Amino acid sequence: MAHYSHAKVLPADLSAPPMVKAWQARALVVAILFAVTAVVLAFVGGASGWDHLWRGYLVGLTLTWGFSCGGLLMLMLQYVTGGKWGLLLRRPFEAMSRTLWLIILYWLGLGLMLSRLYMWANPGLVKEGVDKGLINTTQFNAIEHCLQWKHPMLNVGTYWVVGAICFAIWFFYTSRLNAMSLQRDKDTLAATPYWIKKFENLSGFGIVVYSLTMTALSIYWVMSTDVTWYSAVYGLLFLVGQAYQVLAFAIIVALALSKVEPFKTILRGVEQYDLGKFTFAFVMLNMYIAFGQFLIIWSGNLPEEINWYMDRINGHWGIICTIDFFLHWLIPFSLLLSRDLKSNKTRLTRVCQIMIVAKAFDLFWLVEPSYKDAARNLHFSWGILEYIAVPVAMTALWVACFCWELQRRPVVQVNDPHLAEILEPEHAVA
Amino acid sequence: MATKDFTTNDPMIDPETGEFRVLGQGQTFNSVTAKISDIVLTPHTPWGWYGFFVVAGSVTGILMTAVTWLFLKGVGIWAITQPVAWGFAIINFVWWIGIGHAGTLISAILLLFKQGWRNSINRFAEAMTIFAVVCAGMFPLIHVGRPWLGYWLFPLPFTMNVWPQFRSPLLWDVFAVSTYATISVVFWYLGMVPDFGTLRDRAKSPFAQYFYGMMSLGWRGSVKHWMRYETASLLLAGLATPLVLSVHTVISFDFAVAVLPGWHTTIFPPYFVAGAIYSGFAMVLTLAIPLRKFYHLEALVTERHIDNMGKVMLGTGGIVAYGYGMEVFMSWYSASHWEFFMMWNRMFGPMGWAYLVLIFCNIAFPLTTLWVRKWRTNITFMFILSLIVNTGMWFERFVIVVTSLYRDFLPSSWGTYRATKWDYATFFGTLGLFTFLFLLFVRFLPMIPMNEIKLMLPSAKIKPKEPAAAGSEGH
Repeated sequence: MAHYSHAKVLPADLSAPPMVKAWQARALVVAILFAVTAVVLAFVGGASGWDHLWRGYLVGLTLTWGFSCGGLLMLMLQYVTGGKWGLLLRRPFEAMSRTLWLIILYWLGLGLMLSRLYMWANPGLVKEGVDKGLINTTQFNAIEHCLQWKHPMLNVGTYWVVGAICFAIWFFYTSRLNAMSLQRDKDTLAATPYWIKKFENLSGFGIVVYSLTMTALSIYWVMSTDVTWYSAVYGLLFLVGQAYQVLAFAIIVALALSKVEPFKTILRGVEQYDLGKFTFAFVMLNMYIAFGQFLIIWSGNLPEEINWYMDRINGHWGIICTIDFFLHWLIPFSLLLSRDLKSNKTRLTRVCQIMIVAKAFDLFWLVEPSYKDAARNLHFSWGILEYIAVPVAMTALWVACFCWELQRRPVVQVNDPHLAEILEPEHAVA
Repeated sequence: MATKDFTTNDPMIDPETGEFRVLGQGQTFNSVTAKISDIVLTPHTPWGWYGFFVVAGSVTGILMTAVTWLFLKGVGIWAITQPVAWGFAIINFVWWIGIGHAGTLISAILLLFKQGWRNSINRFAEAMTIFAVVCAGMFPLIHVGRPWLGYWLFPLPFTMNVWPQFRSPLLWDVFAVSTYATISVVFWYLGMVPDFGTLRDRAKSPFAQYFYGMMSLGWRGSVKHWMRYETASLLLAGLATPLVLSVHTVISFDFAVAVLPGWHTTIFPPYFVAGAIYSGFAMVLTLAIPLRKFYHLEALVTERHIDNMGKVMLGTGGIVAYGYGMEVFMSWYSASHWEFFMMWNRMFGPMGWAYLVLIFCNIAFPLTTLWVRKWRTNITFMFILSLIVNTGMWFERFVIVVTSLYRDFLPSSWGTYRATKWDYATFFGTLGLFTFLFLLFVRFLPMIPMNEIKLMLPSAKIKPKEPAAAGSEGH
């Protein structure tokens, strides 16, 4: 007996549903509440409170940068690799990339705090550490040597120049890809091969440029918080980490949008399951690089490298490190192994939420122990709560901007060769 | 450069996407079966095959001679000495293992990613993997000096209380490579079972019927057989996928866990894996291009495959280039005099020529030309490029091994490395062995999976029926 069914029809209205506006409003409220909390905590915490506010700001910047520029990265990756998943996530990625202006503002803000965050920007921090007994003679010699050696790169002038170059490049790619996307929508289906090639050509080289510029800023912003430490895989770790968090966020958005049209029509179980598998791959890749770095440094046991891990494992950091391992890898890995979970919208959303929390938590673990007052032992104080208040405020503001950008164009791109396929009825999850 | 007024009369171009079609037009179930199975079942072996077989067999003979002499005289016949205690053997080992990776990536990862274009090339890429692992596995065995004690590498319960060093990545290699070889062989064989069934049914000679019948494990093509075959394929793909990462990662640990400048770098694991896939795809091209020409397989291995492989090489080559760049940058950023000297010496020292060769072969030439689609789909160009990349990737391992060792911390112990004729004989001998095995494969086993190609034909697609027709037939 023959079975048959009809292909679905794409809804006429492809604009973002009203719920996105509601998300935007809620995110703004959260941003304001947490921003006020951050300021209060800074006053309560005294000098340490303000220091932690700046450090929390660095975490917030890195996290939102990951969403925004990571969105650009994934957009380019999608154009290069093709595939149905692009039809679902391209517009969310585009909206993420268009929040770049906010990241530029955040970056300008970071520039005002360099002297409290980086020894290379304020050698007085070294003296302060020595005076407080936080830096011993061996460490002092190593820091002094590194500060002198790396001065051509690590100084305030090049910080601004390199940052400006990177943001200019990302701005170019963001604006070109977003503009071309709208042009493609207006064009005919017959022009699809032209657009595919055009996007491919721009994105292919864009990924190369992005990898290099992103590596440069990951070194400036995060790695150089400990001026003596280095790791060649650091940029790649950030790159994969950005893909990890962006994919998690985009899936949350897509699944939430699928409650109503037009995503209700185009998000099939097969594609949802595939997205789950894709996320699983990034969970593995992320842990693979992180563990590889750890194993090599641990085995080498060289004083210029191992101290970075010792600062992050000893004392209460052992607990943080363990939680990071669980959140970042063990929980998503274990859960995403399940076929049922990947097919269940609510559960998949929960896992993606855990992944985003894990990313923020990991950044806390990366940043805070770099400062000598926190190295090798986590001190509980009012100030440490800034690591919650500031990143949440900055991320909530970013989410509000994202929602605003998402509403500015249709959430589904037409003229895509995969559209017909995605509208076909699904038979089974392979 | 893309143009908006895209039109084409080329039947090999898909007008919807502007890409080359995965299969040539006009293919049917019968034509695919006949084309692939006739290569195996024909009683008339092409003279060209005999020619290559004799040459490959002769080169394998050189390998046998070199290995025999090695067993008689010891590893002293090689150029290894202090300070370069690791030479051609480890270089060749890493090179061969790397080549194998493309096969696993094509057969496992691209299967999970639902990349249909892999179907035409996955079988001989898997075969390439297995023969590459055979060549690779030989080097550690003959390098131990007393190969008859090679089993000591395994953690067997010895009565002598001699246990391997579990903290050594060389021991991890034993597990990684043996697991990899096992899974690869099982995956390869399993994939061929339906095709063995076809060969059994089409074979004329009793011996062929018996041989392929035995190999087909009683395959009848029932729904249950297909269901179990698909499930097993996916499970094996799932098992093989982490192996693509783990094997070359463990091999990168052979170097990276040591505290030697040039080896001890955290980028090694992903950069080794990317390099492995890069060289592996180059070798797939080296094999696929002559094969499609010799056996007239242009309709099954099309420009689309060559183009896609070029793109994969561009991506993985890009990661390799990133790795080289980060190595150079970190040698400065580390603020370590040792690291800085090593990199300076690697680039501008007496063996700087080797570094230049690898930069030209792996970066300068391929990563500038592979951006252009016209060149990616130029068959002759891609064949030459594949040879250049294979050469470059061998030099990469040469540079890592030799230029990190020959000038170590003490200038008084500096030396050099000059390979002996036995080093060269062993290396080129493995090329012969690899070709020898591969020629046997293409002659006696189906080099392209018939069953998977048929799934891609238009006649295999089930289309939703029109409502009018459905009204009379469906429910």
